[in-house]
Amino acid sequence: MASTVIGAGITIEGEITTEEDIVVAGTVRGKLSAKEAVTIESGATVEADVQSGSLAVAGTLTGNVTAGDRVDLQSGARVVGNVKAARVTIADGAQFKGNVDMDV
Amino acid sequence: MAQARTTNRGSDARIGSTARIRGRIHGDGDLVVEGQVEGAVALRGDLTIAEGAMVSSEGIEATSVTIAGALEGDTLASGAVRLAASARVRGNIRATAIVIDEGARFSGRLDCEFDLPTELGGVSRGEPRGRASTRR
Repeated sequence: MASTVIGAGITIEGEITTEEDIVVAGTVRGKLSAKEAVTIESGATVEADVQSGSLAVAGTLTGNVTAGDRVDLQSGARVVGNVKAARVTIADGAQFKGNVDMDV
Repeated sequence: MAQARTTNRGSDARIGSTARIRGRIHGDGDLVVEGQVEGAVALRGDLTIAEGAMVSSEGIEATSVTIAGALEGDTLASGAVRLAASARVRGNIRATAIVIDEGARFSGRLDCEFDLPTELGGVSRGEPRGRASTRR
């Protein structure tokens, strides 16, 4: 289990920073920054700029993403924003609107 | 805190020991804070401030609150508030039941409403309701 979990009923309005990983199943508005993996689960809503080691999205994300390693938009994901990461995957069934920058 | 991997059952939300949140936290479900929180917390659920955690809040509202870490700010609980031995709390606490374990440090007002026997309460005012303090 991740060190930080935002449960499905929980809303955070503000800034979250952690040295470890974070799983969002609820709602986050503001800014999200993690040294390791960020997971936005199906049903979760994130309206925030995300900075992380890696990012996996199955929920709804509005905001710009910068990941040191990779970004995976999974089936069911709905992402509006720009994505900057060396490796990006967009699964069949994911919705995405924005720019991708793989820094080539 | 080197936490073993556990299932998420019994804990809806957790703020890990290296995590820091500045802002408002609200919603349904239990929350365990092991890291740092600056801001208001309003939960329909139980709040646990673990040992080593630091919470600085303009106000905490929850069903029950267990504090083993440091808290600065007022607490309002519809259930019980417990200060464990490692708790360091500065602020006012209002709850239906309050437990302070030996070793806990607390500075503030306790407001724990209860009914006094009518012989002792303010009978003449027709409101036989006693209060540990008069703050509303």
